[in-house]
Amino acid sequence: MTSVTIAPGSAESTAAPAGAPVASGRGRALGYIARKAGLLLLTLWAAITLNFILPRLMPGSPADAALAKLAQNGPVSEATKSAIEAQLGVPTGNILEQYVAYLHQVVTLDFGVSYTFYPQSVSELVSTALPYTLVLVGVVTIIAFVLGTLLGVLAAWKRGTWLDTLPTLAGSFASAFPYFWTALLLLFFAGYVGRLFPTSGAYGPTATPEFTIGFLGDAIYHAALPALTILITSLGGWILGMRNTMISTIGDDYVTFAEANGLKPRTVALRYAARNAILPNLTSFGLALGGVVGGSILVERVFGYPGIGYLLFNAVTNQDYPLMQALFLMITVSVLIANFLVDILYGVLDPRTRR
Amino acid sequence: MTALLEITDLSVDYGEGTGSTHAVNHVSFTLEHGEFVGLVGESGSGKSTFGFAVTGLSKPPARIAGGSILLDGVDIASLSTGELREQRHGGVAMVLQSGMNALNPVRSIRNHFVDIFRAHGHVERGDWGSRAAELVGKVELPASVLDRYPGELSGGMRQRVSIALALSLEPKLMVFDEPTTALDVLVQHAVMDTIIELQKKENFTALLISHDLGIVLESAQRVLVMHEGEIVEDAPSRQILERPGDDYTKMLLSHYADPRAEVVELPGFEGRHRAPADAHPPTVSSRTRRKDQKAIVVDHVSKVYPAPRRGESQVTAVDDVSFTLEPGQSLALVGASGSGKSTLAKLITAVEKPSSGSVRFGDLDVGSLRRGQFRRLHRDVQMVFQDPYAALNPLHTVEYTLTRPVVNFTGLKGLDARRRVLELLDTVGLSPVEEFAAKLPHQLSGGQRQRVVIARALASDPQVIIADEPVSMLDVSLRAGVLALLEDLREQWGVSLLYITHDLLSARVVTDNIMVLNGGRVVERGNTAEVLRNPTDEYTIRLLDAIPNPGRQDVA
Repeated sequence: MTSVTIAPGSAESTAAPAGAPVASGRGRALGYIARKAGLLLLTLWAAITLNFILPRLMPGSPADAALAKLAQNGPVSEATKSAIEAQLGVPTGNILEQYVAYLHQVVTLDFGVSYTFYPQSVSELVSTALPYTLVLVGVVTIIAFVLGTLLGVLAAWKRGTWLDTLPTLAGSFASAFPYFWTALLLLFFAGYVGRLFPTSGAYGPTATPEFTIGFLGDAIYHAALPALTILITSLGGWILGMRNTMISTIGDDYVTFAEANGLKPRTVALRYAARNAILPNLTSFGLALGGVVGGSILVERVFGYPGIGYLLFNAVTNQDYPLMQALFLMITVSVLIANFLVDILYGVLDPRTRR
Repeated sequence: MTALLEITDLSVDYGEGTGSTHAVNHVSFTLEHGEFVGLVGESGSGKSTFGFAVTGLSKPPARIAGGSILLDGVDIASLSTGELREQRHGGVAMVLQSGMNALNPVRSIRNHFVDIFRAHGHVERGDWGSRAAELVGKVELPASVLDRYPGELSGGMRQRVSIALALSLEPKLMVFDEPTTALDVLVQHAVMDTIIELQKKENFTALLISHDLGIVLESAQRVLVMHEGEIVEDAPSRQILERPGDDYTKMLLSHYADPRAEVVELPGFEGRHRAPADAHPPTVSSRTRRKDQKAIVVDHVSKVYPAPRRGESQVTAVDDVSFTLEPGQSLALVGASGSGKSTLAKLITAVEKPSSGSVRFGDLDVGSLRRGQFRRLHRDVQMVFQDPYAALNPLHTVEYTLTRPVVNFTGLKGLDARRRVLELLDTVGLSPVEEFAAKLPHQLSGGQRQRVVIARALASDPQVIIADEPVSMLDVSLRAGVLALLEDLREQWGVSLLYITHDLLSARVVTDNIMVLNGGRVVERGNTAEVLRNPTDEYTIRLLDAIPNPGRQDVA
């Protein structure tokens, strides 16, 4: 256990708050993770509960909507009414019982049956769509972040040279295009005119989803265009973000001092300037990761890619309440988990947060 | 033996062509091995630009426009980037002005040393740990700091670490650029002592760049005085102190005095001796046209902040302080940083509420004011802030800045408000007033900005001004003017002044009474001249001893 006492001029010991005892490194790290995990559980509970309360605050119910539709064609009998209510799972019991039942359903991942894809269960639909989105959007988001950050570091370090101007200009040019416009351009030229890549779907008509080299190759081949779309549109933001924060850290005193001490340029660029510049960008990375599960609706829609975004689009247009509710919950939960992971990453990368 | 550093006709410009400015103008001098030389100048004199040129750290737009810097016969400007980097071991090292920020916040202190050892390979890998421990030992820090991160160390400790890092390069020449400026007075003193001792022991050559002639005279054998990019005087310290040759040096020297002396005179304060303790202070009525004057009564006030982090104890910033600021009186609140003086200012201006005790202004209970009631207090109690560079909105003209409080507090509008604004500018000595009214903050010097801040405080015609270190950010030559202005306001307008400072000399010239704070408690109070001349509390004595005293080297 270290506790600092200073000899020179008792003046400093009074002015040094660092003299306070601090827990050992590992204990402190565990405490930090435990605190963040506690916070995660609390917000998870709040999100799940909100997801329960909000639909109940809305006037009307899916059953009312269905009945109103039927009523246009003539009177609805009492038997039809109860049949529809039973089919749509209109809740019974008081609010507390409903809440307990709901929690039980959430924990067992039982979100009921989809209206649109009847009789498939919501969890079945979600678990088929999820891998495609996770792999496509998730991997591309990570690639875009890593690549963009590296290019940003290079641009800032070689400020004013072509290594700076080229990626910066190209990046801002590409990200100025709307998502779907880039998607349409790629679809038209690389898919329709060039016949280089398939224009829709996640795998060929003859393939069956399984873990074989052949299927994976086919899936990657189908994912190429949507992946490229997301990469092109998001790369510029990462380049600019990293470049700008790094340019400000390059002006910081510790970088000047590192140069004055004759450290190797590589060390100064990576361990001093870039290492500090990346910290604020982690927050945006966390947000981007959290958005992965929500998918990119437009991209998945344009390429007819059967991911979560496509599913969500279908759920909303068809008023598929069980599916929507499950998807919204999943999106919320994944944002929370992504933020938790970034918090942990912060703890690893920045000693100032480990307190 | 040849000189270690030989500078001939050195010029450093900012920018190129017709738009360039000469920051350093045809400077020549030599440094012998083992010398301790001081370089003094005010802000904008080019001293830091010069320091960066000597250490080969000049960055665009700064550029060496002419002349040469020979270190041991080698021209620094002729070295390639790689050679320049390699010569940093055993060549020139630099300790930066804001040593607090000179360390990488995400790297442990040990790794800072390791980075240097690895870059130059002058220490065997197996000896890294012991060498680093030895180096921090030289700057009087325990080896345990090696496992800490910069954020866990105090400002003084961080500056010591950066000195140890510079020392690890085994330099022939160490350039210290304002090494203690951002530090608290007492810490400043301790760090300077370490630098002086180290220089004697390690026998490197030292160039100390500072705005403070007092600090330089105290430590250096020889002093260079820089003014507008030129060296105006180069002489041994004693000669500078006793027989300064240049007018600029004389001007700088005239701003130093011993606050313990019987009579303290500063430029602008000649003949304005403070009343001796037994004489009656001039009554309020003799000074002011105002009738309704109120006192600030601080009664057994404490302020306790909750623990900053779990597991730590709560912080008592102000601990059972009582005093009364009578109308027209001036009271100095003195203490090192963390002594609670700024917290007291916040309590009096209702920015914070006291944890116990009460603050009263006339019949107003300041502590219990709620939102929306502050205007009643702020009409009469106004603040002048420490940093004139941060206290003005850079997007607003002086006129706009001053019109806001005039309209808000006095209800004047249109032409009347404008007349009042110009009157305020005239009061604080910014004339021609029309011209200053149209200016933006960046077009003003630090001293002028501080005058605008004071004018803004005066806009509501307040009875009390609380000035929190109003001159600490200003150059010595500008300080006296601002202090004299505060003094005039008190004499002519009957404004009472709470003067918060760590600078005992300025407290001596502008205040009647003084209170010394330490750890939130009042440790000594009384008539300013008397307390400073015969301090009884140990803390007051230490504060007094920490004041850079140009004559100290002679005594020691």
